[in-house]
Amino acid sequence: MPKILVADDSETIRTLLRTALSRAGYEVETAADGPTAHSMGRDGGFDLIILDQLMPGLLGLDVIEQLRVDGVEAPVLMLTGVDDGTTAAESLDRGAVDYIRKPFEMNELLARIKSRL
Amino acid sequence: MLDTRIAEIGTFVIYLIDLALLLLLVGLKTVHRRRVGNHDRRRQEFLGLLSRHVSYDDCIDPITPRMAEDPAFLDALIDVREVLSGHELSNLEDIVAQHGVSAGLTRRLASRFPLGRRLRAAVALAEIGDKSAAPAMILHLSDHEPDIRIECARGLARLKWTPAIDDIVARFAIEETPVRARFADSLVGFGTSATWPLLAYVRVNHRSEDAGPALALRTVGRIRELDAAGSIHDVLAEAPSLEVTIAAVEALGGIASPDSAPRLHGLLADDRWQVRAKSATALGQISESSSILLLSEALRDANFWVRRNSATALARIPDGRTALYAALVGDDPYAADAAAEALADVGELVAARRRVEAGRSVEEPLLAHMESEGPT
Repeated sequence: MPKILVADDSETIRTLLRTALSRAGYEVETAADGPTAHSMGRDGGFDLIILDQLMPGLLGLDVIEQLRVDGVEAPVLMLTGVDDGTTAAESLDRGAVDYIRKPFEMNELLARIKSRL
Repeated sequence: MLDTRIAEIGTFVIYLIDLALLLLLVGLKTVHRRRVGNHDRRRQEFLGLLSRHVSYDDCIDPITPRMAEDPAFLDALIDVREVLSGHELSNLEDIVAQHGVSAGLTRRLASRFPLGRRLRAAVALAEIGDKSAAPAMILHLSDHEPDIRIECARGLARLKWTPAIDDIVARFAIEETPVRARFADSLVGFGTSATWPLLAYVRVNHRSEDAGPALALRTVGRIRELDAAGSIHDVLAEAPSLEVTIAAVEALGGIASPDSAPRLHGLLADDRWQVRAKSATALGQISESSSILLLSEALRDANFWVRRNSATALARIPDGRTALYAALVGDDPYAADAAAEALADVGELVAARRRVEAGRSVEEPLLAHMESEGPT
């Protein structure tokens, strides 16, 4: 069963994604801040990581960068704000494979995850 | 002796009162903390419940009427709604409709007291209310509480309940500025449906008041319906006040219809510098090359802002920068300053300097300007 890390400081998003992804057959763990996301991403052996940009302690873009430095090759999908084209573009530069804007359609998110796993 | 005794007793009584107040404060804080903790715990449970309803089409976890009345449930519903779009949103809307959420909130809104409860109901209706709540929200557009009026307008805009537009626009004349501004934001949410009621309001009222029609025009500019430009031209032809004229020009810039360019060209010769300056900005937004000549002439205007805005507009128009280069090396130092600032704002001077440093060619006027400025 593929294992996914969901890192977002919003409890709502963590709860929603944990439920939806579990329903879709994935094993899910969550992180609520950047440093935890980094340490879990580095050590947790995840098949895919979903990262929010604005997290306490360490921004999502910086988490991607550190994970790549640590040799973590799991695909990263960035969650960005609806008007945040800059973050979307920069996340791809730093090693994310895709991004999705909030608010998002769950079906679209699941399809993008499925295409990466 | 007796006086001393009375003083001692009085002091002791005061200490007792202080202690009682302190204990009361501690007790209230404890109760509040517990209430918040309970609210957060219930909200987490409801988040899980709603997540299952959103994720599983066949979810049978019950949502009871009592839950639907719980503020923690409403908070969870609003939070989930803010995160999702598309198909899952309709699942949430079904929950709202099936469990009478709007009806409960409408009852709370209609109650007389307390304000906090009424306002929370108005906010919740604005976020998650369904169309059954629209009549109540229209009614409360004239609520005695301004925040409630604002939330009701916002909710009606989210529902795109167009029958409410006239009621919202009608309140432009009587609302205070902060509330009116929020009403304008809500009208933008209705989209082009709000354009004609707003313009009708302007046509009727601009001779007798300024602030409301000016805001209405700016709102029309934010909505950006192209066909509205003609009506705004008609307003300008009626020689409205300065404030309304400025707002009309700003609206034309926002709509950016090429048909407005000739009208704005004429306004570049207006006696009032504010109108000339705003017209220059609007022409930059419309970005028609037919404006280049007149904007070039406006670089020599006596007023700083007219020159500045004209230069900025030229920087936006294709081929407009040629005029700026010419002004850079022209005989008018004020025009040259305006041109230099506009070119600097778009990074052209930095880019030119870098090209020079790289040994690449640069337009002569830019080179001349850099040489006159000296090394940086």
